[in-house]
Amino acid sequence: MPDPLQFMMGEYQAIIPVDRRYFRNHMWFQMSAEMNTGRVGLTAYAIRLLQDVYFLDWTIDPQTQVVLKQEIGEIESSKAVSSIFAPAAGLIHDFNPALMQDPSLINGDNYSTGWMFHFETQVETMSAEEYVAHLSGSWEETQRVLKGQYNA
Amino acid sequence: MAPRKLTVVISQAPGKNPVKHELEEEIATQLMLAGTCEVSLIPNLYDLPADHHGLLWLRSISGDLVVLSWLYERAARWTLDRNGISGLEGITQLPKGADDDEDEDSAEESADAPQGIGSVRKTNRHIYVMDLRQHHEAAVYLEEIQRIAREAVPPPALVPLEMSFGRPEASPGEAIAPVPAAVEFKLPLGFPGMVPAAGETAVAVPVTDPRRRWYPVIDYSRCTNCMECIDFCLFGVYGVDQLDRILVEEQDNCKRGCPACSRVCPANAIIFPEHKTAAIAGAPTSAAGDFKIDLSKLFGAPTALELAAQERDTELVADGREAVGLSIGIPKRQSAQAEQPKDDLDNLMDALDDLDL
Repeated sequence: MPDPLQFMMGEYQAIIPVDRRYFRNHMWFQMSAEMNTGRVGLTAYAIRLLQDVYFLDWTIDPQTQVVLKQEIGEIESSKAVSSIFAPAAGLIHDFNPALMQDPSLINGDNYSTGWMFHFETQVETMSAEEYVAHLSGSWEETQRVLKGQYNA
Repeated sequence: MAPRKLTVVISQAPGKNPVKHELEEEIATQLMLAGTCEVSLIPNLYDLPADHHGLLWLRSISGDLVVLSWLYERAARWTLDRNGISGLEGITQLPKGADDDEDEDSAEESADAPQGIGSVRKTNRHIYVMDLRQHHEAAVYLEEIQRIAREAVPPPALVPLEMSFGRPEASPGEAIAPVPAAVEFKLPLGFPGMVPAAGETAVAVPVTDPRRRWYPVIDYSRCTNCMECIDFCLFGVYGVDQLDRILVEEQDNCKRGCPACSRVCPANAIIFPEHKTAAIAGAPTSAAGDFKIDLSKLFGAPTALELAAQERDTELVADGREAVGLSIGIPKRQSAQAEQPKDDLDNLMDALDDLDL
């Protein structure tokens, strides 16, 4: 397998594997043999912002057709809370049952056993290079958003 | 003015939550035993139709009023206002709830709040509103009500014993409030005119909670009459009165669960008291997760406008109409900016939005 890319978040090195595709909202998409279908999980960048995940809840049922940015769940970690949004228009087939037992798998192994859901979409995704470029482009603003909240 | 008792109204939780009903009844019982206030229970204030006898009775009260409900204070206050029950804002001094943090109190906050067009009604009495979700113990509320009773009612000319037995409406000089005809009916835990509880009577009038409702409540202390809500809502909920002031005209046209207009409102003046998001339900500050940062924006959260349009489309399609997306009723100031890169002010505003205030 080719070497993964990396993105520096300050001192922290976020690993971005090149064997999969990416969505703008910091989710990876690894297509299976089946066309346009595959697993979705959070990137190392997202995990670094969240840190230890305590709680994960899905607010939609399996086999739900979703639109881009539709709210599909909630996540809470030691540092943050967030809703989880559909990365693109598509069909969410099912959720990783292992995460329901132990959401900290997201931290332990975010690029494999910590996958979140099976997804089917026709939408264009980004390559690892494009995703890293997207991260570089938005890193300044991300820091400002975070800082704004810390200082508030 | 003759001394009169403070009126305390408890708006009951919808549904059958025994813990909530126990708290309501504990407060009511203790107040009645103390005898210093008139106390009544009404069904959930927000669900009451305009001609509900509970509301008719509330409108007839002209003196100071304490309202306890399972709603945020702003939500309860403006639901009352909408139903013609208005007054000056009584400042309550409930201790902070366990969930609250120690930041500024609501008085400080309202000083910074944007100036709205205000209520049309002006009444010189005070209305004190309390949120029953703030504390689990009746004692906290009872103590505060006693404090308000001392503050609100001038020192009694009558000895306390007489007050607790005398009918306040019979006091000399007190002829303002039209006493409802059904006052003889007064039940220990009800309000004048209430139907006797089921089981006590063969009359086939079921004492059921009113139907659950869903409609926006406008906080006129914030509303600037900008009309963005009336442009955005495609279901004809909003209208204007004779003074061209915005009002919720056809509340039952509103789509259950849809808070889209509230997201569009630039002054955050539209409250949906039953919505799960605290800011939309009328919370003074963001409730849960105050100490954690909200990463929703980074994880692809839609903007308030996108969300509002999504919610509206869902309801349009459910009605067999065409989805309109962002093409109708979207404020111009936003669409003109959409193509430009964000500047520092935009980022600052985004950061503020993320705080979910």
